Amino acid sequence: MSVWQRLWRTKHLYLFLVPTFALLLVFSYFPPISAIYNSFFQWDGFRERTFIGLQNFRELFTDRVFMASWKNLFILLGFNLLIGISVPLIVAEMIFNVANDRWRYLYRLFFIIPMVVPGLVGTLLWRFILDPNVGIVNIILEAIGGPEWRQPWLGSPRTVLASFVVMGFPWVSGVNVLIYLAGLQSIPQEIFDASRMDGAEGVSRFFRIDLPLVMGQIKLLLILGVIGGLQAYQAQLILTNGGPGYSSMMPGLVMYQEAFSYNRIGYASAIGLVTFILILGATYINMHYVKSASDITG
Amino acid sequence: MEHVLTQTTWWAQFKKQQPVLHLILWILVILTFYPFVAMLFMSVKDNPQFIHARWVPTLPMHFVNYRYAWQAVGRYVWNSIFTSGVTAVGVVTFCSLSAYVFGRFEFPGKNFMYIMIIALMMIPGVLTLVPSFILVRDLGLLDSYWVLILPWIAGGQPFGILLLRTFFEGLPGELFESARLDGANELGVLRQIVLPLSAPILGTLAIMNVTGTWNAVIWPSVTISSNKYKTIVFGLWGFQGQYYTSWGPLNAAYTISAIPLLIMFAFTSKLFIQGLTSGALKV
Repeated sequence: MSVWQRLWRTKHLYLFLVPTFALLLVFSYFPPISAIYNSFFQWDGFRERTFIGLQNFRELFTDRVFMASWKNLFILLGFNLLIGISVPLIVAEMIFNVANDRWRYLYRLFFIIPMVVPGLVGTLLWRFILDPNVGIVNIILEAIGGPEWRQPWLGSPRTVLASFVVMGFPWVSGVNVLIYLAGLQSIPQEIFDASRMDGAEGVSRFFRIDLPLVMGQIKLLLILGVIGGLQAYQAQLILTNGGPGYSSMMPGLVMYQEAFSYNRIGYASAIGLVTFILILGATYINMHYVKSASDITG
Repeated sequence: MEHVLTQTTWWAQFKKQQPVLHLILWILVILTFYPFVAMLFMSVKDNPQFIHARWVPTLPMHFVNYRYAWQAVGRYVWNSIFTSGVTAVGVVTFCSLSAYVFGRFEFPGKNFMYIMIIALMMIPGVLTLVPSFILVRDLGLLDSYWVLILPWIAGGQPFGILLLRTFFEGLPGELFESARLDGANELGVLRQIVLPLSAPILGTLAIMNVTGTWNAVIWPSVTISSNKYKTIVFGLWGFQGQYYTSWGPLNAAYTISAIPLLIMFAFTSKLFIQGLTSGALKV
């Protein structure tokens, strides 16, 4: 059968794809192409575009605010990855080792329930909690170490990034715990039995058996964390708008402000494009150079 | 030997209960819940209670705060239920149609089209936010329900099709043959055989979309300006400034924003949890 014959025979199947592709053409394929196009223009979003070649990109790399925002982002990303990958693993390991089935189920449930509260509400609650005057964190710090232990938190360039790390304490992300638990539960019981025979229990078992066998999950969370982290700015948009000064500015927030406060659509598109390329690069490195258990054994 | 024997008394029994493990887990549970529990008891305080004892529960509780909060954000809640609901239905419907032909049929261009859809998962929101805004502005969709529905249905397609295609491919082939022998056409097979068997995965997909769109802040913040169309989570951002001194109703509004998702979780916790972990497939 020729291609045309097969096309004719299956023509009605394409009808099933029409709604999806109609929406994707307009809302999913057009925007990224137009982002790349716009990044070579000076454009306020209303009047004629002016082609300026690579001028936007040249400006980016001399833009002090933009450069500062990447430094802030990498500091935050580093801490968030470290905490977001290790703390849920430790908690998942603890839940996994609870002997009682019902309690194991309940703990899992407890750490998931907070997920129904919108992220924005969590962010706004942490503003109360870190309030310099009446926030509970400063009340506790003062009770322990006296008034000099109080911190300005979101109000000072010195502590603002630390505030964004502290938010979410004790950092038990329900989703990550679930992902680790799924990994731990898929380890065959024989492996644990064998390791017990060899005298590997507790911490030693964790490092020799559990940790290597959840490397796949760690890699997954690393990739997800980098992809999400490189474009994160919602909390900063809501709480500090990048301040004080530029001390909590994020690249995505620079883009948001350039586009929606200063109408610099071309420049904002260039920021989006650079961030996208960095995300692609980082994802590629993660996929190819971070080894997971299946890569090692398989 | 004697020493070991004496240990098998109450102490061994006690250790068997894993007291340290439970203690640590309970501390973590309490710390994790504290901000949200604090939100609950702040939501029933009047201003003097809030100013003098905001971090501990106080009596009497002022449930009237919830009435004030509802007067301010009730409309936003309905907007969210409407836009998230319609989006979820749209995602599930369109994804089912596409995933069905990708999963059960062979036709020219199939792999190319599938890869073109899946490749969209590599495109991050940071690249598309600005041009998407320009697009919906030029289409005249700003400040309407459409802007909270159509782009979100489109955005839900790649992952939804990936998820459903895998599932549809796994359905036993005999079912399809017998249905076709009975004279059912493709759409009939989809409606009578595939969808009923796929209810749980369709539910998971719907729930994932509802939670995703419910929590959106940045997209509504650039496309919605009038109160008529504000969603609840985005609306809370503005609520903060507007009602700065009414702390009780403010926290009541925070609580209200979580209640619909809590109800959904209570009735569909299994699907909800599945949705959380299958989001990991997104890579």
